[in-house]
Amino acid sequence: MAVGGMKLSSLCCLLLYLIAAVFAGRDFYKILGVSKSASIKDIKKAYRKLALQLHPDRNPDDPNAQDKFADLGAAYEVLSDEEKRKQYDAYGEEGLKEGHHSSHGDIFSSFFGDFGFMFGGNRQQQDRNIPRGNDIILDLEVTLEEVYSGNFVEVVRNKPVAKEAPGKRKCNCRQEMRTTQLGPGRFQMTQEVVCDECPNIKLVNEERTLEVEIEQGVRDEMEYPFIGEGEPHIDGEPGDLRFRIKVMKHPVFERRGDDLYTNVTISLVEALVGFEMYITHLDGHKVHIVRDKITKPGARIWKKGEGLPNFDNNNIRGSLIITFDVEFPKEQLDDQQKEGVRQLLKQASYQKVYNGLQGY
Amino acid sequence: MDYHMFLVVFLWCSVLLFSTCSFSAATELSFVTCGSVIKLLNVKHNVRLHSHDVRYGSGSGQQSVTGVTSVEDSNSYWSVRGTAKALCHRGTAVKCGQNIRLTHVNTGRNLHSHYFASPLSSNQEVSAFGEDGEGDHLDEWTVLCGGSVWDRNEAVRFRHAATDALLSVTGEQYGRPIHGQREVHAMTSSSQHSYWKVMEGVFMKPSENMSREYSSPLHTEF
Repeated sequence: MAVGGMKLSSLCCLLLYLIAAVFAGRDFYKILGVSKSASIKDIKKAYRKLALQLHPDRNPDDPNAQDKFADLGAAYEVLSDEEKRKQYDAYGEEGLKEGHHSSHGDIFSSFFGDFGFMFGGNRQQQDRNIPRGNDIILDLEVTLEEVYSGNFVEVVRNKPVAKEAPGKRKCNCRQEMRTTQLGPGRFQMTQEVVCDECPNIKLVNEERTLEVEIEQGVRDEMEYPFIGEGEPHIDGEPGDLRFRIKVMKHPVFERRGDDLYTNVTISLVEALVGFEMYITHLDGHKVHIVRDKITKPGARIWKKGEGLPNFDNNNIRGSLIITFDVEFPKEQLDDQQKEGVRQLLKQASYQKVYNGLQGY
Repeated sequence: MDYHMFLVVFLWCSVLLFSTCSFSAATELSFVTCGSVIKLLNVKHNVRLHSHDVRYGSGSGQQSVTGVTSVEDSNSYWSVRGTAKALCHRGTAVKCGQNIRLTHVNTGRNLHSHYFASPLSSNQEVSAFGEDGEGDHLDEWTVLCGGSVWDRNEAVRFRHAATDALLSVTGEQYGRPIHGQREVHAMTSSSQHSYWKVMEGVFMKPSENMSREYSSPLHTEF
């Protein structure tokens, strides 16, 4: 009996140890600075922001930079995958040990391209003598809803990549002047093409997924670069892929900077006696409008803080400016109704002629 | 008895703790979507659909469209777009039989055809026309393919919506200044010369639909 009790207690200890080991893993939510209920969009946003801050190239003096960056990559890899996240939430990091792990460089480059943002210098300056493939600049159509709330767009990039092949090839060809002595005091200068010999190269198509973040308040014509994702160059480096933002027209709202404009048509009755209404905003929330005064055609209401988030500071928002039009009755009034309106409004005849186009 | 029960519980916990789920690999995008930027390869002649700011010396005098053997030329990128009447949102799969516009990325002109003779073969001329992606109804092409959507691995045909001619290459080569490039034209007869396959590109994945439905008769004129 005592032996059984000992076995039982030792098993208890072992189980407790295992459970402790499971929960002693890294806290991926803490690493990314997000809550356990964070959406995939929040996780991507957090990763993108922290990846730029913690990249080892940006922190050459920090001996732990590589580890921090690796932790960040591991956290993103798990929490951005629905299955892995469920597994992690249930059993901690230990439950993931046998899974396939991506390189953290791969994750980083899916957001920024092959060489990140070339921290600490302009790419053109660094590689002045290296030939480069063409850049690709393509329009990314975004909705006003995406500008308001932000979004992540996944794209599949299929591109030719230069790979070594058997044999040699001529490369880095250039024109050089050659001087030949024809006789005493007689020289001839000729121009000839001189090439180096390089390993042979073949272009092989490769495919990968890139993540483009549409940031809140993003402006038309802004560009998001992915370094090294452009066209290859057989003797040099690939160009860049640049996504140029094109904000699409919207059926309800018009953008002017961070302000949003919209028009609302109300009936003549509502214009005279007041009204209450709701406008559905870009993220689905309702903007409440109530008026008990007379509303003239062309009247405007400013709703502060109901515009677009400012690109540089998302906490600052523009205004929503609502312009009112008045819909007049379609049916004509009879004499009795006309008299009733005159009695009701008690408004004297007012007929002013002026140059409206010049603002008089 | 307690011991055996505990052993069962312990083993069950262990299995739970150390079991690993089978993680499905991210599936690649197998179809072409609106907003994607692609290179189109003529499968018979192994040339990519190409354009550049060089005009035809005959016919319409519009921007020329050719076929090139080069793989890494950025002037071979075309953007897949809906028509002026039927917009196609980013990431939406292009259906077989759908009308699309192909806009040349670097010049902003649309793949276009009309009743002019092509310079080498005297077939129907194919040019690039318009400004900033806006041209006319002669920029519309119908995607002819086998399934329900335009599959990236399938060789498809493009029929000019207004004239019913198929986008083709029959192998005629230009001399200077575009030496070695092939003539691209449109032909009414279907043949192996009219099949095109998607090669390199940037393919927009379908994303969460961010645009809302607005049924209210609001308008935005000022």
